[in-house]
Amino acid sequence: MLLETKSICKYFGGLKAVDDVDFRLEQGRLKSIIGPNGAGKTTFFNLVSGLYAPTHGSILFKDKDISNMSINDRSQLGITKTYQLTHIFPRLTVFENVRLAAQSRHTIFNFWRRAYSLSEVNDKALAVLEHLGLLKVQSRIAAELSHGEKKYLEIGIALATEPEVLLLDEPTAGMSPAETIEATHIISRLAKELSLNIILIEHDMSVVMEISDEIMVLHEGRKLAEGTPNEISANEIVQNVYLGKGASRDA
Amino acid sequence: MELTWEIIILQIIMGLALGAIYVILASGLSIIFGLLDVLNFAHGTFYMLGAYAVFVAISLCGNFWIAMVSAIVIVALLGGLFEITLLKRLYGTEPIYPLLLCFGFSIFMPDVIKLIFGLVGKVVEYPKIFQGAAFVGTLILPKYRIFLVVLMGVVLLALWLFMNKTDIGMIIRAATRDRLMVSCLGINVSRVWTVGFMLGVGLAALAGVIAAPMVQTIPNMGDEMTVESFVVVVIGGLGSLGGAVLGGLLLGQVVSFVSFLYPDWSNVAIFMAMAVILVVRPRGLFGEEGRA
Amino acid sequence: MHKSNGSNKSMINRQGDWRTRFEFRAMIVAFIFAPFLPFIISKPLATEIIVYGLFALGFNLLLGHTGIISFGHAAYLGVGAYSAAMIVFYGEVGVWLALLAATIGGLLVAIMIGILAIKRKGAYFAMISLAIGQMFFFLTLSPLTRWTGGEDGLKLPPLSIDFPLYVNLSNQLHLYFFILTIGCLATLAQWRILNSPFGHVLRAIRENEDRIRACGYNVSRVKFLSLIFSGLFSGLAGGLLVVYLGAASINLLFWMTSGVIVMKTVLGGTHTFFGPVIGAGVFLFLRSTISEYTDRWELWLGALFMVLILLFREGIWGSLLNLIEKRFYHSKL
Repeated sequence: MLLETKSICKYFGGLKAVDDVDFRLEQGRLKSIIGPNGAGKTTFFNLVSGLYAPTHGSILFKDKDISNMSINDRSQLGITKTYQLTHIFPRLTVFENVRLAAQSRHTIFNFWRRAYSLSEVNDKALAVLEHLGLLKVQSRIAAELSHGEKKYLEIGIALATEPEVLLLDEPTAGMSPAETIEATHIISRLAKELSLNIILIEHDMSVVMEISDEIMVLHEGRKLAEGTPNEISANEIVQNVYLGKGASRDA
Repeated sequence: MELTWEIIILQIIMGLALGAIYVILASGLSIIFGLLDVLNFAHGTFYMLGAYAVFVAISLCGNFWIAMVSAIVIVALLGGLFEITLLKRLYGTEPIYPLLLCFGFSIFMPDVIKLIFGLVGKVVEYPKIFQGAAFVGTLILPKYRIFLVVLMGVVLLALWLFMNKTDIGMIIRAATRDRLMVSCLGINVSRVWTVGFMLGVGLAALAGVIAAPMVQTIPNMGDEMTVESFVVVVIGGLGSLGGAVLGGLLLGQVVSFVSFLYPDWSNVAIFMAMAVILVVRPRGLFGEEGRA
Repeated sequence: MHKSNGSNKSMINRQGDWRTRFEFRAMIVAFIFAPFLPFIISKPLATEIIVYGLFALGFNLLLGHTGIISFGHAAYLGVGAYSAAMIVFYGEVGVWLALLAATIGGLLVAIMIGILAIKRKGAYFAMISLAIGQMFFFLTLSPLTRWTGGEDGLKLPPLSIDFPLYVNLSNQLHLYFFILTIGCLATLAQWRILNSPFGHVLRAIRENEDRIRACGYNVSRVKFLSLIFSGLFSGLAGGLLVVYLGAASINLLFWMTSGVIVMKTVLGGTHTFFGPVIGAGVFLFLRSTISEYTDRWELWLGALFMVLILLFREGIWGSLLNLIEKRFYHSKL
């Protein structure tokens, strides 16, 4: 098992944001998490990526307990997430945004060399930019990018850290339908080419149904159902609680 | 010097009175930070302005109590003016800029006071009914200091009532917790900020007013107080009123006893106390997780 | 993944982006013209500009490059100065050892503030560093009077250097060139640090601390090191100040020193490399000019600083760079 959570809980005061969730991600799979707003999806991501420590329960990566590991150590281990609201380095260039992420796998406490002369790091950053179609804007200041480009840069920063498990938090949010389709293709292509293991939070049901191997449904912090896209769309409880509320159009 | 229990009690009272000034000053700082996310580097400056305002008001009307109220009102209005005309322009920039603006004001204002009042200190008399001391057996109880402790209690009670029982107070508390939500409620947040800033500055002025009879009223009297109010909130935890109260009272005692026992170390002691507390409890006594 | 072709690579300039290259050239030009400075303005003023320029650079390592607001830099400068003065005064050692002692003094203060405050953000770091700074001021002033000379400071005998060549530091011009040499070397060292892989992480912390942590960097450790470099350079500046003044004075430790270095740095431009030096130069020049006409220097200083913060936040050098970049660089794209 690549990644596993065992009865993981996160309480904020009296609020049970994530309550007793068991989750398993096998090697080579793309698994989506769906659920209404406030279901605990992003909190679950933050638990896995290490932004929060769980109230109870444990997280295992390759059978090793990482529940209390810091976010930077988890990133070094190969677990990283993208952010729902873009979270980039606004006044640095696009290239530098990705280069910094790539550099984290290479060297940190080097005080004398020129940062731009680390060829391996440069190549890695350029390769990531090429994958995401950002090469032509590499020398622009990140804050000046369009919304869609920022979303790709967000993914680019995560990819440059060479993750084994990539957590994508609503990568297509705010995109037009055409952009969404393109993004969907890029994500599934990346997953295959880079043999990434992806966990995806997504509101757009068409995206989820198209690219997921498995789906977990969260509702009010608890796991409601789990299965293949077909099983989930056939599941009556899910239909009532979630898909029934207007989202079933795509199912 | 010998430490008899009479002296110990006297030092405790002195410490409580000093603590009262710290508490009032630091709660103002804490309110401003909690609400506006602005570290008011000019807090001691408003404290100094309070002391000068009460000096002027007493020489005009002769009554300490009327002078006290008018001094607070004048300084609060000045603070409001500062917030509306200058500080407001910097909301939304990096947090360092409002801080630096306040810092500039704290350099500027003492020199303005020097220009008007000269370098020589001004004397503010104790209010008549609190002059001298009461004697209980062998105990000496300085009346003014005891008044300060009572006043602190009254101010804290009033502050609590204001924050919990009035509309504007409850809006301030809500805005401290969640700025966005309050603006979603259709409340003019900008005005809430102004009121909050005036409240915080008014508390600084009050601290200056009540300190004026005990210390020398000089143009730079506020500089040291800015730093000391910082120490209070670092010890207590910034943004928490309970922390300001506990931190202020603790510092009052530290200063009172150290300056009695080891006068050389009196100025150093509060910073050492802060360092020790930071080692033991990095977030301060009342500091919350996440509020860094 | 490694299939990028040559044309992509050519877009990366290993010397850095346009601003970096421009600032490097400007710095070299400044080095070339610096030897003429004491013939244009007074020698003491020229010397002071170099020393405070170095101090401002060290300070801006935190404020401008890492995004940490320090209000305790008087402690680094002052402890550096007193370390140098005391080792000369009591140990009767030479100038080189004194400068080493100053640098170590700055380092020790950095370690202390780092342990107490490095995990605290923004306003908290500002408050704690200011308080620690005041602690050193009062320690030097009163409990340690016997060793530090208290209010009078420590006055040193005339200094000179024998190694590697003889320099008579009582000669104002020789003193200037000695301090200029060390100032230039320290500036170059800091340039290398800021353009190293480590230096780039500092900028990323300033831009988005949470994200760079999520990229796998141990942010607290990087910040701690940034604080230490800042302490080293500031402590060295304190040592140079003692060599220049021939004394350590208590004013160096007063919180106003911390405030003034913030002002100098912002005046020059925090988001630049060389701005702090320019800010220090303009500031010291203005002070020596304005204080000839008025006793109310601080009134003008405070007012001008507020105007600077309200209207001119990028500072002199920062605004100039923005202007040049807009005019000559972006028009080519």
